[in-house]
Amino acid sequence: MTGIATAVDIALNSLVLGGVFLIVAIGLNIIYGLSRVMNLAHGSLFAIGAYTGYTLVASGLNFFVALLITPIIAGFVGLILERMIIAPMRKRSMIYTLILTYGLMFFLDGMIKQTWGNEPRFIELPIFMGETLSILGTHYPVFRLVTLAITAVVMIALMLFLNKTRLGIILRAASTIPEMVSCLGFNMNYVHIGAFVLGSALAGVAGIIAGPLTTIDPLMGHEMLISSFVVIVIGGLGSLRGAVYAAILIGVVQTLAEFFITDLAMVIVYMMMAVILAFRPLGLLGEGKFE
Amino acid sequence: MEAFLCTDDLCRQFGGVTATDCVCIDIEESGLRSIIGPNGAGKTTFINIITGRIPASSGKVFFQGSDITNKPTHELVRMGICRTFQITSIFQNLTVFENVRIARQAHKGGSLKIFSTKRSLKNVSVDTWDILERLGLQDQAHQEAKNLAYGDQRVLEVAIAMAGSPQILFLDEPTAGMSPGETNHISRLIRGLAEEISIVLVEHDMDLVMSISDRITVLHYGSIIAEGLPEEIKTHQMVREAYLGKDA
Amino acid sequence: MMSDITSIPGDRPSAAPIKIFGFAAIFLALAILPFVWDNRFYISLITQIMIYGLLAMSLDVLLGYTGLLSFMHNAYLGIGAYMVGLFLIHVSPTSLWLACLVGVIFTGAVALPVGWVQVRTGGLAFALLTLAFGMMFHTIVWKWYSVTGGDDGLMGVPSPDIQLFRWTVGNTGDPTHIYLLTLVVVAICFVLTRRIIRSPFGAVLEAIRENEERAAFVGINVRRYKLYGWMLACILAGIAGALFILYKGYIGPTTMSAFAGAGVLMMVLLGGMGSLWGPLIGAGIFIYIQDYITTMTEHWEIYLGLVVILLVLFMPTGFVGMGSYLKRMRRN
Repeated sequence: MTGIATAVDIALNSLVLGGVFLIVAIGLNIIYGLSRVMNLAHGSLFAIGAYTGYTLVASGLNFFVALLITPIIAGFVGLILERMIIAPMRKRSMIYTLILTYGLMFFLDGMIKQTWGNEPRFIELPIFMGETLSILGTHYPVFRLVTLAITAVVMIALMLFLNKTRLGIILRAASTIPEMVSCLGFNMNYVHIGAFVLGSALAGVAGIIAGPLTTIDPLMGHEMLISSFVVIVIGGLGSLRGAVYAAILIGVVQTLAEFFITDLAMVIVYMMMAVILAFRPLGLLGEGKFE
Repeated sequence: MEAFLCTDDLCRQFGGVTATDCVCIDIEESGLRSIIGPNGAGKTTFINIITGRIPASSGKVFFQGSDITNKPTHELVRMGICRTFQITSIFQNLTVFENVRIARQAHKGGSLKIFSTKRSLKNVSVDTWDILERLGLQDQAHQEAKNLAYGDQRVLEVAIAMAGSPQILFLDEPTAGMSPGETNHISRLIRGLAEEISIVLVEHDMDLVMSISDRITVLHYGSIIAEGLPEEIKTHQMVREAYLGKDA
Repeated sequence: MMSDITSIPGDRPSAAPIKIFGFAAIFLALAILPFVWDNRFYISLITQIMIYGLLAMSLDVLLGYTGLLSFMHNAYLGIGAYMVGLFLIHVSPTSLWLACLVGVIFTGAVALPVGWVQVRTGGLAFALLTLAFGMMFHTIVWKWYSVTGGDDGLMGVPSPDIQLFRWTVGNTGDPTHIYLLTLVVVAICFVLTRRIIRSPFGAVLEAIRENEERAAFVGINVRRYKLYGWMLACILAGIAGALFILYKGYIGPTTMSAFAGAGVLMMVLLGGMGSLWGPLIGAGIFIYIQDYITTMTEHWEIYLGLVVILLVLFMPTGFVGMGSYLKRMRRN
């Protein structure tokens, strides 16, 4: 392969990886921004998305149909969790919510193992997605390009929703001044539920599009949880724009690190995070209004 | 003579909103300065910047001749700049005594004596009792702070601030939510303190402000619109407009 | 109450004689135990409980006294254990104390820069970062095969003799000897930590837990004291790590996994945070149950998660809290 081809390969891989990080991290960030809950079970919802996608496709459904159904199922799981476990904790201190969702993470991971077993699974793709496309000398897998396209569609839809629709604007307002929004007669309970369902659905989408990129195994959620932390901590807690920059940055760094040193790639990412935080403790775009 | 505490074109923006707009103020070494203004005038923001709670966007703060702009809070406290908060901020699960003692200990030193008992810091305990007695909290000394009546919690916060032996003390609406009796008690206390140190009082209760202040500064939309003795402020045209609108 | 106002103003009475007596009685009973009860399995189990008890206690210094959450405190036990093991394997198989010293200092040296970054970021990000850094350490020991033995773990760690001055008093390979060594070290750590927690320094940590902003506004350098608290907790964890490798003679990456970290957190929750001895009890309950359940089901994870959820929802003060709750009930 030529140098240019390798560079194109790495650049595209970075974007694909960064895109998946971004969708998961934005979901986490939306939940945190709107209901001040840092959901450590978010990675497990991502894994549930991947496994659900696998089951749907394996049962004969078209990949794209599964892509529409999966977020609905993940969102529904999020709804149940919010009502049963998170809502009663709302008034308690941050430490308790963190420990609670940490317990939830292990519970869900255990359930995933119980349901789907320990062995890795693969999502069977439609035939055209298994081919490669020639771009500037590299033969790039079509499904990765499709993943990229889906990421873009999800992000654009999310931005349109948050900026153009009435509901989205209310949600954004609620993340800055919850008191005012509840004064205006909106039930903050619904805002919390909405945030959780939306965030979980995003994790679900990320799960099904990440499925074909990697193998699906019960530990995939852990790694993704940590990566999305890294994204939102570097980007700045609660900052959506910061998350976009951080996700792309980490996608690039991790892809490069994996290309050159393989095994310890994540360590490089953590080191970079430590350096960034040493100089900007609140992240790149953090404003310090979050705890 | 150099000023005791002064600000030079101090500004703070939140997004596009200017909460503190080029404020220059001079505060004396003792006496009671009140800062008043309609809701949203930027009073709390202003003292938040001076006491290091939020950074200034531009401008400088000087204390006894040295530049203290955007210094870390704990250093400002060590220099003698203490404050209370609009929303009561105390150590809820510690006793009243422990609340004041930790503040006194932070001021006096000895926090790194990891193998000593707390009572080994004798002078800290003695000072703590002096402060509690002066503020009339000695009978509640062993109650947990969260079990105190609201008014007593406000007094406790003043006690915590005083434990730092302040040279200048910022009080952010100390009488908010208090009964007339409690207000009376705390206003006498504040007046007494003002004979020794410099007090900056942010307050909404006009009767209180007019009766105990030595000087008053009026903020409106983040800038100073008037400054003077209480009688001057009462009759000041711009102040009346700020509070009552143009036609008054 | 009036009595201590007149004597030394305003201090809660320090350790009552009955507490010191109780502590001494428990210590002696545990010291005699292996000589009267010759059950290798339980002696070994109690050793493990004491080691994890020390780890849980060190986490309590952070969680219960400083108000900081560390998800993967086991990472620092692991770092200490690996270092002591590597020292014994590669440098000197007989220098017990030197190995422990090197292990604990190394743990501190790793914890310092990590803590320095963590305390700069605020409460929530602090917790998230403990998880991220913990995972990083886990990944390193897991993948760095040439040094740590990777997946297989560190094997063949020699058992040095326990020497006091010139006398050899035992060997760490002997279950009774390592039991007694662990008992003595854990007891010393417990007494010292309790002393530190009740010192003026401990008062500063409590103030930070109660109200960080107010603490800063009485002149406390919050970041610096958080870092001190973090270092104290990590060094105690490093000591637990040294005991761990001497006791097991082996350590693998699973000891440093997120899952094991949740276990430590659960010990503190079970016992009740903010009491130091609560987490020791919590460790006992946890390890006993774990031993019992893992033989019955492979889905231990589900139960761990479920118990953590139930604990936080219904019994946030843990075992200790239940004790004081009952006391209050009786008084009323």
